[in-house]
Amino acid sequence: MIIRGIAAILQILLLYLMQTGVFTSFALAGVVPDLLIIPVVAIAFTRGQNRGMVTGFVCGLLIDLTYSSFIGLFALMYMFIGFLSGFAHKIYDENDYTMPVILISISELFYNLLYYVFFYFLSGRLNIGFYLYRFMIPKVIYTVLVSLLLYRLFNLENIFFKRFDRE
Amino acid sequence: MGHRSRNRNRFKEKTEFNPKYLLGGFFLICVVLIFVSYRYKDVFTPARVFVNNTITPMQSGIKTVGGFISDRFRIFSDIRRLLEENDRLKAQVDELKNENQILTQEKYELNWYRDLYDLDVKYSEYPKVAATVISREPNSYCNVFIIDKGTDNGIKKNMNVIAGNGLVGIITDVGKNWAKVRSIIDDDSSVSGMFLKTSDTCIVSGNIELLDKGYIDVSMINLKAEIYDNYEIVTSYISDKYLPGILIGYVSDVKVDAGRMSKEAYVTPVVDFQHLEAVFVITRLREQLDNLDEVISHDN
Repeated sequence: MIIRGIAAILQILLLYLMQTGVFTSFALAGVVPDLLIIPVVAIAFTRGQNRGMVTGFVCGLLIDLTYSSFIGLFALMYMFIGFLSGFAHKIYDENDYTMPVILISISELFYNLLYYVFFYFLSGRLNIGFYLYRFMIPKVIYTVLVSLLLYRLFNLENIFFKRFDRE
Repeated sequence: MGHRSRNRNRFKEKTEFNPKYLLGGFFLICVVLIFVSYRYKDVFTPARVFVNNTITPMQSGIKTVGGFISDRFRIFSDIRRLLEENDRLKAQVDELKNENQILTQEKYELNWYRDLYDLDVKYSEYPKVAATVISREPNSYCNVFIIDKGTDNGIKKNMNVIAGNGLVGIITDVGKNWAKVRSIIDDDSSVSGMFLKTSDTCIVSGNIELLDKGYIDVSMINLKAEIYDNYEIVTSYISDKYLPGILIGYVSDVKVDAGRMSKEAYVTPVVDFQHLEAVFVITRLREQLDNLDEVISHDN
């Protein structure tokens, strides 16, 4: 349990660094994938709502503390994503690689829509078509592509730790 | 076996905390955090500074690794483009040599203008600190980034950041070994500008919807101002945060705005924000400059 927690924190930190540092050199169409969505959805899917929410809260807080002008909004959005994708934990199967990808793409779109509403729609930028075409869709595609690989790693990690849980 | 593990999970979930209570708890925490941090902006500064101070060294490290990898990738993809570019550039060099001669002549004219507008404290003479961009805002909507120099190198909030000979943005947050820069193309940015040729003032503000076209908005230009394409916009004297006379960009598409009260236009920034790596921070604040001016005028 403790080892899992430490592992998760290290992974979140690494993904955050990748997202803000490394992937900016690999931006496609000017967008960077939201890597931090992946652990939130992966943990919620493989381990349930509670852990998904905690992961989401930690990820969101990290973004809040480093880049947001006020604290709590990203934590709230990510935590909510963890809660919603945690519903799918009931149908979790170790060999299912389709469901998490669907979950991640929906979550990413949901997250981007929320982001648009909070930061642009409310300040009078109503041209949602532009944001959809220019930012949201490319981000969803890019994030899903990266998640194809990353989810596998999270799933393997989960299976690996599960063996210890049983013993 | 799959069946058994599913049973186990169901059993486990019953003994676990009800997710709805956890959701409610976290929701409350977040709302309180949002309220407190919005109402009292400085309460969380120590936490922010602590997190950034810890993360920045890691970011510098990982940026080096990332830069190395992306450089290797680019070598393969860029060779052909580079060869073409080389030919093109060679032709351009000849062109520029000619142009340079003309410009040298025009420089005298420019100096005359500068004297006229009292821009003799040019930004090239301001003390500067070189810095590297180590991370960018994670949502790619905004144009906020973090550089690897902080209070250790004498950087303070509201210092101006330039690259090449153009304005990049302003420092909005600073820590021991990092500083956050909001660039002028960010949606929240607005800079008080001035046309170098006519001294008409204007407001230069970022606009994310124009991002791909490579320019940003200029508004509040006096209706009577005689402004034409390619006029230079520099930072104005009346700004309280930006040092005067830093080049912002070149104006285009001047037209009268919808309210028929002023003119608006686009400006193409001189800085290439897509490939921003090295920047300079001018380590003199606007207020210091004003004080300096006062001292000088007292002396006179």
